[in-house]
Parts: sequence; structure tokens; C-alpha cells
Amino acid sequence: MSVVLATYNIKGGVGKTSAAVNLSYLAAGAGAPTLLWDLDPQGAATYLFRVRPKVRGGARKLVGLQSEVEGLIKGTDHPGLDLLPADFSYRHMDLALDGFKKPTRRLHRVLEPLEDEYEFIFLDCPPSISLVSESVFEAADALLVPIVPATLSARTFAQLEAVVGRGPQVLAFFSMVDGRKRLHRAVMEELRAARANVLDAAIPTSTDVERMGLERDVVAAFAPRASPATAAYAELWAEITARLHRGGV
Amino acid sequence: MTAGELLPPDDMTLAAAGEALASRLPVRGGDVRPTRRSYYDTFDGLLYAAGRSLVHEDGHLELVERDSGAVLCRAAADRPAKPLFARELEPGPLRDTLADLAGARALLALVELRGRERRFDVLDDERKTVVRLALAEPAVNGHTHLRARLRITPVRGYDKELARVRATLEADLGFIAADQPLVDEAVRATGAVPGGVSPKVELALRGEQRADAAAVAVLRRLLEVMEANLEGAIADLDSEFLHDFRVSLRRSRSVQRELRRVFPPEPLQHFRAEFRWLQQVTGDSRDLDVYVLEFGDFRELVPEAMRSDLDPLLGVLEARRRDARLKMEKALRSERAVSLLGEWRSLLDGLEALDSAERPTAAQPIAEVAGARIRKVYRRMRKMGAEIGPDSPAEAYHELRKKGKELRYLLELFGAPLYPGEVVRPMIKTLKALQDVLGRHQDREVQRATLHALAAEVARRRDGTGAVMAMGALVGRLAEDEQAARLQFAERFAAFAAKDQRRLVRDTFA
Repeated sequence: MSVVLATYNIKGGVGKTSAAVNLSYLAAGAGAPTLLWDLDPQGAATYLFRVRPKVRGGARKLVGLQSEVEGLIKGTDHPGLDLLPADFSYRHMDLALDGFKKPTRRLHRVLEPLEDEYEFIFLDCPPSISLVSESVFEAADALLVPIVPATLSARTFAQLEAVVGRGPQVLAFFSMVDGRKRLHRAVMEELRAARANVLDAAIPTSTDVERMGLERDVVAAFAPRASPATAAYAELWAEITARLHRGGV
Repeated sequence: MTAGELLPPDDMTLAAAGEALASRLPVRGGDVRPTRRSYYDTFDGLLYAAGRSLVHEDGHLELVERDSGAVLCRAAADRPAKPLFARELEPGPLRDTLADLAGARALLALVELRGRERRFDVLDDERKTVVRLALAEPAVNGHTHLRARLRITPVRGYDKELARVRATLEADLGFIAADQPLVDEAVRATGAVPGGVSPKVELALRGEQRADAAAVAVLRRLLEVMEANLEGAIADLDSEFLHDFRVSLRRSRSVQRELRRVFPPEPLQHFRAEFRWLQQVTGDSRDLDVYVLEFGDFRELVPEAMRSDLDPLLGVLEARRRDARLKMEKALRSERAVSLLGEWRSLLDGLEALDSAERPTAAQPIAEVAGARIRKVYRRMRKMGAEIGPDSPAEAYHELRKKGKELRYLLELFGAPLYPGEVVRPMIKTLKALQDVLGRHQDREVQRATLHALAAEVARRRDGTGAVMAMGALVGRLAEDEQAARLQFAERFAAFAAKDQRRLVRDTFA
């Protein structure tokens, strides 16, 4: 049985794709067969792995279970890490899902044939509240939620928890953190104290993370081991796996 | 032919082959590096039979499809230093897949290849790796050098690119498909045979063949299996070595008994007695192997709250198993055992040349001799079974089971190669169904007696009282199951002894 982890936030530009790509790389690197499904029609994760953003039959056939999902998967340059690419048709995935009975079960059913093959399946989700995100909540064992420390963080997080409801385990972590800003430090301290599911590991604002788009690879593959971003993702992954065991997923 | 491996043109060096492919394909990498690649399989080649290879390299174990070279699953792991069991791996797809393929068998090192290697990634125009190539000059276990070869590892989802790369390598650069995977060539270089040692007999016999010649062919093969499994049984590499050794031994004894009239009586009597001894000196070890292996099933039989109470019993079984294995090793290493197998081989080698005056069925066609035995044992079983009811003594069930084994071996060793499969196969199936019930009955009977016999020793252990109480619950469940087997017997036996089955036996083995 795969553990399904979705990087999700209602807001865009908070480091979802960076987290999905780097964490899935770390999972695979530790020896666990891992799949990343790039659900975002913008296809940033797909671009980073240098794969063509094209899925035969598009979103409709895929969520209609008419495509054989095994045949759509691409191996990345990293052993043990595969990608189910993005496709521009994913922008209409809501419509595609809406045409089916129990639409929110569809993503789960797409992944069913892969459960024996992968230990971890990451879903990189588009920022929105939609039928797609509801399907993601049904399919995922845990949501990994990047939060940018700002005055409204707590509010955004509360909204998100309301949307998720009694769905998957929610694990939040701070992203794009500038340790020099007092405000960042204060917000983090406050939210961590108030919420048990806000993790200690945090991803700093880093040129290495920004360089990913240029290098078209995961941070650990081009940045030195000592890079703060590399270390931060490793800490984050260790904390997530520890929490997953405790959470019983 | 193997799709995943190519040989460079005859006189091409590693360096030249590397330059050649870099000149025609968009590649990255290619530095020369040392490699160490180890292959694993079970003794009987279960992975080979499933078209798989297990490889350790660069801190990972990989399960590879033999033909295509595609990596099916992998996991970080140290290089196994001793026989590896699937259950010892970290949880995950590799462990699950290997457990399905290898079951209780140990994965043993087949061969290790060392040498120099140049690895290339073939890129597309996004500079994405679409095929991986490794050009290697391997040496088997560090000395026997094999011809250089190119290993192709497909990247999932890039089949068209793979086909193009192969076409370039073969049509433009003169590489040719290897006729066998590297691992097979390496295994042959060590003097072994790829695919491991099967415990199966699977001989092509002819119906008109002399009965003594057919018996010799079968018995020689069984002896081969015994000899092949002997060292592994003594070293306890896994439980199946001893099991396969004993099955072949029992099958040999069955042939000695059923085809006794192809042998001269005097030496046969000696070998039958000696083989019985061999069976006895290996019996305790096998029984205790099974108790320890299947201890989990025992645990499941008692109420959940009592399960951990059984642990002291496992301790006693393991201690007894160690003692039994020491005794067995001593017996199997004894002059008596060593010379026995050699003398048995000599008898088989010379049997056909011996005077046939004392061997009345030796020159008769094997189909006739084996057919008559099958008919006779079947008839005997029908009689024995007809007299068995729910209140019969356990001994009656046990005797029928022993006869059933005779029939099964006759059918498998001689029936299958000599008579129509559409008769023999279903007959073996019906017989197996009957034997399963009889076996369960007998196992439960023996297990209950064993638990009684062990109770005093278990009681003396720490937490022994709780264990003995849990054993009491277990004995109760075993007795219930024994009773259930008795109730199932009538139905299974009816199918075995049915009228159309009787007619089929009479007509086929006439």
C-alpha cells in the first residue's frame, strides 16, 4: 500500500512544487519506490524533471479510468523516482471529474493500480479550492502544507483546516522563511505554539531553491550538501516520516 | 537472445567502444569507474524461472527483468554477506516481490562481477535521460575475464527512444545482441549451470524401455538431487535443502519398494534398510524445522490474549531443533552415510548388466510394470479407505496416507511421462486433495503428541506455566481440526474412489 502525500495550499507561489519535487527525490533516494503526480496544469514539476507535459488522452480519459495509468508514467533522471506528468488539459479536470458519480473518489481510483508498486505517491496540487482539491483530500493520507510566515498565516491555515475537514492528516511547515525578519520568527513561534501539526523543519528563502528552475533539477542534485535548502528538505522529510508513523497512516 | 545487453564489435576495446557510442549518440558521462556487481538467486533458481535477476551494486539491491534489463524495484541495502531472506529486507515493494518469488528460500550469491565500467546517459533534446548505458569489462569473481558488453537499462516511458538507441548501436556501430545475459555467461564461467538446481525429476521415459533402465534413470536423477542438496541441508542455508533432500530420499525408497523386482534381492534389502536409516536420522530436524517455520500458525490458533504466552514453547522448539541438527550433521557426515550414496550409485551404474534371473521384471517394458503397480496400489487404497469411518483409529488414516504417497510418486515419476496427461493430471489432483486431508489429520495427531511430550520441559522455563496453559488451548484447537479433517475425509475419498475414476484407472494402466 502506498502512502499518498499531497503538497497543497489554497494560495499559490508558496513552495508547493519545490517541496513535492525535493521530498519525492529524498524518498526515492532512501530506497522507497516513489511516484510524483504533477496535477498542476502549469506543469512546473514536470518542467523541472525535463519531461514533456503531455498525457495521452488527457485529463478526461485519465480520471475516466480509460487510460492505463501505468503506461503514462515516465522515469525521471533519479533512480526510483517516477513522474506522472502534467497535461494542459488538467486545467479542466474539475469539469472532467464532475461528469462522474462520486467524483471525489476518482483520483484515488486512478492511483489504485499503482499501490503495490510505489511506497510513496506525491501529489503536487494546483492552488485552489475545487473538485480537484476535494478529490486530493480523499486520495491523500496526509496533506503537506507550506505556509509563508506572514500576519495572515494563521488565518489561512484555519481556513484550510476548515476546508479539509475530517479528511487526511494535515502537516504544515514554514516555507520561504527569512530568518532575519523578526516578523517571520514571531509568526512561526506563535503558530507552532498554537498548533501541534506545524512542523519544526522550515524551508528558508534560498537562491538554491530559486535556481531549481534554471538547473531543472532537485536542489540536492546541484547544490552542495551543505546548502541550507538541501539540509532543510532533509530535515523536513525526516520529520514528516516520523509523524506519518505516529499518525498511523 | 537478450534485449538488454549488446556485445561490441569483436576487436573493439572498452575505450574505443565508448568513443564510438559517444560519437553517434547524445550522451553524458562516460568516465571509467570500478564496478562490483553481485547476482543472487535461490538454489533452485526461482528468480531465473520467473525471468528475474537480483543484483547488488552501489549500495542498492535491484530486481531486474532478465530480458529487457528494466529495473522493476530497488531498495537501499548493504551487500548481503550471508544467505538473504526476503523477510529480512526493509518493508516495501522489493521485499514483497521477493517474498512472493522466493518464499522461504534463501537468496544465495551466484556470482560477483568486478571490473571497469563506463556509464552513459543518453539524453533527449531537453537533456533528459531517456536510456542508460553501461559498457563493462567484467571479470568473474575477480579473475576470469569475460568479453566486454554493453548493458542497456531502459527508462520507463521512453520505449521509442530505446528502440532508436538500439538501432543506432546495432545498425551504425556494429554492436550485436548478446545470445545470453551476462549473469548466465558468468555463472557458466564458474562451472555452474544457470537456472539453479531443480528438485524436479521430469525425465522423458519411453513405455517400451526396460523397467530396470527406466528405474535407474529416475533413481539417478533422485540421487543427483539428494547430493546437490546435501551440503545446503547440513549448513542449514534454508529449510528447503533438507526438505528436498528428504523428498528425493522418500521417492527413491518408494521406487525401491514398488519396482523391487528389477533389483537383485540381496543388495536391495541392504539399501532399503540404509535409506530408511537416512530418513530417520533426518526426520527430527525436518519436523522441528516445520514447527519453528510454522509457529506463527500455531499462534493464530490460540485466543489473541494467549498468543505471546506461547513464546517459551518456541524457545524449547528452537533449542531442540539445534540439538537435532547437530545430531543430523554427525550422521550425515559419517562414513556410513558418505559411502552409502557412493555405493548406491555403483549399484545403479551396474544394474542393467546384472544377471536378470533374480530380477523377474527387469527386462519387461516399464509402462507395463509401472502400470500394474499403479493399478494395484490404487486398488489397495480403495480397499483401505472403504474400511475407514469417523471412529477408525488414527493409525488407519496414517496407513492410507503412506499408501497414498506411494501412489503419488508412481504417478509423478512414471505415470506422468508414460501415460496420457489428461488422465494422470486429474488423478494426481484428486489424490492430492485426499492426501491433504490425511496429512492434516496426521500432522494434528503428531503435533498434539509432541506438545504433550514437551509440556514438562516448557513448564520449567521462565513463564512456563502460562505457556503450558496456552499449549492446552492449542491442543484443543488441534484436536478440533483433526476432527474436521476426519469429516472431510469421506467426501475426498469418494471422489478418489468414484466409479468413473476406477474405470479410468483400469482402462489406462491396463
